[in-house]
Amino acid sequence: MAEAIIGNQYSIWYKIRIFVNSHLINIFAGGLFALLAIFLAFPLVMVFIKSLWGDDGFTLTFYQEFFTYNYYYWSFLNTMILGLSTMFILVVVGFCFAYMTTRGPNWLRTPLKICALMPLCAPPYIFSISLITLFGRNGMINNFFNLDFNIYSWTGVIVAQCLAFLPLSFMMIENVLNSQNPSLEESAADMGASESMIIRFITIPLAAPGVLKAALLVFVMAIAEFGNPAILGGRLPFLAPDTYLMITGEGDFNMASVLSVVLMLPCLIIFVLHNYILKGKGYTTIVGKPTAVDPKEITPLIKYFLLAIVTPVAIMVLLCFGVIVVGAFVKIVGVDNTFVWDHMFNMQSNAAIFNSVKLSLMAGLFGAIVGTLLAYVIMRGKFRGRNVMEMMALSGFALPGTVIGVGYIMAFNKPPFLLAGTIWILILNCAFRFLAVGVEAGISKLHQISIEIEEASADLGADFITIFFKVILPIMFSAFIAGFIYTFMTTMMSLSSVIFLVTPGFDLAAVYIYLTAQLGELGLASAATVKMILIVMVCLASLKLLAKKTGLKSN
Amino acid sequence: MGNNETPMLELVDVHKSFGDVEVLNGISASIPKGELLTFVGPSGCGKTTLLRIIGGFTSITSGKIILDGEDIAALPPNMRDTKMVFQSYALFPHMNVRKNIGFGLKLQKMPQSKIDDRVDELLSLVHMEGLGDRTIERISGGQQQRVALARSLALEPKVLLLDEPLSNLDANLRVVMREEIRSIQERIGITTIFVTHDQYEAMSISDRILVLNDGIIQQIGTPSDIYETPKNMFIAEFVGYVNFLEGKIESLDQESGVYQVSTEYGNVSINRANDKNLGKGDEVFLVIRPETVTLFPPDAQDLPNMLKGKIQHSMYAGNLVKYTIRCGDREILIDQYNPKDSIKFKRGDNIKFTIPSTVHALPKNT
Repeated sequence: MAEAIIGNQYSIWYKIRIFVNSHLINIFAGGLFALLAIFLAFPLVMVFIKSLWGDDGFTLTFYQEFFTYNYYYWSFLNTMILGLSTMFILVVVGFCFAYMTTRGPNWLRTPLKICALMPLCAPPYIFSISLITLFGRNGMINNFFNLDFNIYSWTGVIVAQCLAFLPLSFMMIENVLNSQNPSLEESAADMGASESMIIRFITIPLAAPGVLKAALLVFVMAIAEFGNPAILGGRLPFLAPDTYLMITGEGDFNMASVLSVVLMLPCLIIFVLHNYILKGKGYTTIVGKPTAVDPKEITPLIKYFLLAIVTPVAIMVLLCFGVIVVGAFVKIVGVDNTFVWDHMFNMQSNAAIFNSVKLSLMAGLFGAIVGTLLAYVIMRGKFRGRNVMEMMALSGFALPGTVIGVGYIMAFNKPPFLLAGTIWILILNCAFRFLAVGVEAGISKLHQISIEIEEASADLGADFITIFFKVILPIMFSAFIAGFIYTFMTTMMSLSSVIFLVTPGFDLAAVYIYLTAQLGELGLASAATVKMILIVMVCLASLKLLAKKTGLKSN
Repeated sequence: MGNNETPMLELVDVHKSFGDVEVLNGISASIPKGELLTFVGPSGCGKTTLLRIIGGFTSITSGKIILDGEDIAALPPNMRDTKMVFQSYALFPHMNVRKNIGFGLKLQKMPQSKIDDRVDELLSLVHMEGLGDRTIERISGGQQQRVALARSLALEPKVLLLDEPLSNLDANLRVVMREEIRSIQERIGITTIFVTHDQYEAMSISDRILVLNDGIIQQIGTPSDIYETPKNMFIAEFVGYVNFLEGKIESLDQESGVYQVSTEYGNVSINRANDKNLGKGDEVFLVIRPETVTLFPPDAQDLPNMLKGKIQHSMYAGNLVKYTIRCGDREILIDQYNPKDSIKFKRGDNIKFTIPSTVHALPKNT
């Protein structure tokens, strides 16, 4: 259309409008590429550069330092051990939960599922607070049983990470188990297999690819998370908290960058594996012949074995949440149990929550808009590099928050992008980090809409701008909302990145909780957490409602 | 078949309810060794449920299932000597053809060399030689079906259960495969229960057919029993096309077994020496199959059981012509085979037609 020569009888504005119409997608694409480049790629590039660029130019001394000093070596090793142990434990525990909720006795399924998913509505570091309340020096259980258990140890960190990321493992494995054709298990039984043989020869091998994906994801989350290792690590070094200490304690951006690069590499590798090599691998075998079936009973021996694993974990989850709620309303939990409102009504805490809400709203809005636009451009654009764009948009999710946080400080602390110290650095950080959900929701929604709807609208006389605002956006609205709510929710809870970017005078809830927990002010930490959880629960409920009403697939 | 041996499988008053819904309402049947019995019926009649109950995948509410003299109703599927071929075949996607077929044998801890020999035997039986190392996703639907069959036969079960095994195949393949299944079944002599909703499939390969509807057995008999002497109108209509003609028995001759039936179109004389349950004055439906009616031009000589009608519609189908005849205020379907050597009638022609004297009659309340 634009290729045709536009005659001179048309005004310049009309010509511009035609040009814009036919190239709008490309214009948007260019703009979005620029945004992604500046706010995702640039900070990362800064991190890489800083790790290799000292006062005298290009140098490998920082990496040398990393590999020579014991301390760094241990930091790296500990992080890997943390990741691996969390991964192995959660694969087993997640599988047990998922098996029980998909094949166990009916009355147990919902309660177990609730326990497994509860940690979703709280930030991962609340378990540090709960565990300190229970097992700290003045912890309830330590006092009650007269134990001397030290929670600031490997046990503390691993248990906290396992509890925090249980929902992730559970949801993915449950999804895999649910997509197995029940006829396969029946067929194996028909061949003479007992239930344990079925699990060994059929259920586990078929679930293996999906479980592997879950395991890799858990590994990444466990090594990237800042809060639990920082609070409970004690004298154990871990990469994420060490990055923070490098900057706040020693002002050494070079080493901080090296630590970031080292932390980033396994995450990037796994991201690539996950999205490009393992994608689509797996056995989905559901075929439809609806026959009325009786629910099958699990063999008692297997049932008790699973219960033995699942029950203590479920109890721990409930206990941790319970203790937080109690701690929010009690003077000093475990020591002075008088009911008080002080913690809940603390001014500083509420200011922090208010700031977090404000930040989350803005980040959510910005992220949802960018995410929706990205989804549209990726799906409907015809330019090369769409895959790169999608990968960039999703990568924010895969990268550790500490890495992006460090990158942002270094990238935006001088002109032309002087954002440090403003709320904008926080907004952009969170919006771009959590783009993935909005983008994926948008893409999935667009898959459902045939391009013919847009073509029909054009046929009826609508130009592109009209089509975009009157046809596409309304249809993609649910994806937009999903992206908004998800970004809002994760921005509320996220700590690893924002901890580098907050300024005095602008408290954020997540940082406030971290600091009060470090100081031992468990009452204040618990109260702020309770308020945060309530807000997040509202978000989750509305997401679920939205999914139900608009048929958006849950991720 | 049909001897005095203990039946291989006996269903004794089998009831099944899902909650308040009663799906099977007292099913009793006796299946001799080596028979191929087909459960047939409309969707939702309970035939798959009954099959699954025999296999052990669905629990029985009450009744007995006696396999070779032993009541197996309480046994789980892995302890029953029945094997099932599922509608989706349920082949294990993470194993190749050989491993799928040998799975049951491996569970029995048979030595690997013996498993290999047996798998080779079975591959040959189902004409899949040389394809043992293929993965499941790389074989066709018909081949998957054969692998599923081979896998079930590997353990030499007493009863083979087939749950609509052909419904995922295209029409031509279906005909080929059902012949193959039947020939394998006859060769091995294994007692088999086949579930299908396709009556032609049922009739072409079964020794006997069990027609299910409303949770009870409507009729159990050979294909010709079911087709030629259905016990009620549901069965008559379920299998093939049928015309019903109402009539009343005016008289009967006990010796010759000839009944005179008056219908609104004239009198018909039927010879059913075996229908002992009909008597003078009974109201009946005559079950007239389209291919049993003969057409005559309007000036033809009068014959017994001849009625008049007018051609409403004709459809040439190559090997036959399907006519719709208007007779009074009723329409009758007639199939005339070998049209090349017959008179061709066209729309509007007046004709005469005869109903055979061996037509089956159903008492009106069935």
